[in-house]
Amino acid sequence: MKNILLITLFAVLQTTVSAQTFYAEDGKAVFLSKVPLHSFEGSSENLVGMINLDENILDFYLDLETLDTGNGKRDRDMRLTLNTEEYPFAEFYGTLSSPFDINNPEPQPATAKGTFKIHGNQQEVEIEGTLTPTEDGLLLKASWILNLTDYDIEPPKLLIIKVDENQEINIEMLLTPYSEDE
Amino acid sequence: MKYLTTLLLLFLLSSTLMAQMQRQRAVKDGPVEDIFRIGSITGMSTVTTLEAKNLNSLIMHNFGLVSTGIEEFYGLDQNAAVRLGFDYGVTDELTIGIGRTSVEDNVDFRAKYLILKQLESDKIPVQIAIKGDVGINTQKNTQFDEFTFQERLNYFASVMIARKFNKQLSLQIAPMVSHFNTVKIERVGEIPENTHYGLGIGGRYAFDERKAITFEYLPVIGDRSPGTKNHFALGYEIETGGHVFQMFFMSGKWFTEQHLLARTNTNFFEGDFRLGFNINRVFGL
Repeated sequence: MKNILLITLFAVLQTTVSAQTFYAEDGKAVFLSKVPLHSFEGSSENLVGMINLDENILDFYLDLETLDTGNGKRDRDMRLTLNTEEYPFAEFYGTLSSPFDINNPEPQPATAKGTFKIHGNQQEVEIEGTLTPTEDGLLLKASWILNLTDYDIEPPKLLIIKVDENQEINIEMLLTPYSEDE
Repeated sequence: MKYLTTLLLLFLLSSTLMAQMQRQRAVKDGPVEDIFRIGSITGMSTVTTLEAKNLNSLIMHNFGLVSTGIEEFYGLDQNAAVRLGFDYGVTDELTIGIGRTSVEDNVDFRAKYLILKQLESDKIPVQIAIKGDVGINTQKNTQFDEFTFQERLNYFASVMIARKFNKQLSLQIAPMVSHFNTVKIERVGEIPENTHYGLGIGGRYAFDERKAITFEYLPVIGDRSPGTKNHFALGYEIETGGHVFQMFFMSGKWFTEQHLLARTNTNFFEGDFRLGFNINRVFGL
């Protein structure tokens, strides 16, 4: 009898969590770097994310070595600047602080507060974006400005001109309901 | 007690999903990067091609033999051999180039094509590229004056096979052939060869992301012209913000492989080598 009770309890717990948890590992992250008269961007489609609506948790991270700027030498320089060998991830972990209605199919403003970590340094940040329920799951779009010096990252140079220390970050990912098979 | 333990375990399992995800490195199976940092070690070409729309301006120098001693300031007082060249990445696989060497005013045109890329997964364990070079001696007021255009031509072809074994070590072998339409008889009774075959061997050992030591060895296989020695070079490579500097000691005074293979006439291991350096600057166009 105890065993049946346990199994039932476990199943209920798992179902509850699974039903409210969404996951993606092919999200897109793009950064835009600017120097006078020139700009370039780097992107990756290896953004991993999780949203737990029960706990209002937003968690995402990116393996920085998957970023591609379209220039091998620039990629190498970027990896050195970010010291990806020692700090391979850019990551956010926080809570969704705005109300969200999963039954409303319109894009809904979303705000997340939490900790963003890169280059071995972390800052409390507030990220704004939209969250849209779709047939497949939740579509998350967000953008914010990352100040390199806040994370002790020396802005790299193109020739003798330093890259702007403010980097525009955009992320987009479709999170699908989490299942136990994943 | 057992019941409580099981309950606790179930709770922990369930709450795992609500906690922070475990960070995992992305699994990539792309081409191995930087088997060699740039298109040549010293004079020997590598399997590395330029990315599309990138231009490499390349200045190559070497001086006289170090063995000339203090009298000639270890070769620096002697005339430098210089090759000024430009290479351009037409695609990520195809690089074309042009250069001019001060020795015999040799102008050369070259192309390199990447056939196979080494993959991170080792599904393809080596990188393979082919290269061709056609040079023309444009020198005036010498014995070449009487030569026709055809007679002034020289050629080179090679297949380069390389592997990056780990973050530090890359090695390359390159079967190669050079041909000169005209060769000069230096001494009566000596018969120079128009065609030389060789097996280039090169390597790079990186200390970190920016610094490495390199070597290249071009032994002639089979018949060779009288006096032709196997070329060898030992170098130090450093990358600094857009430039790749290569400093080296080399036996041959040439920078085109057809000449390095067929016309190197000093032996590195007998102390006859010269100081040289290359400056590579890559621009994205």
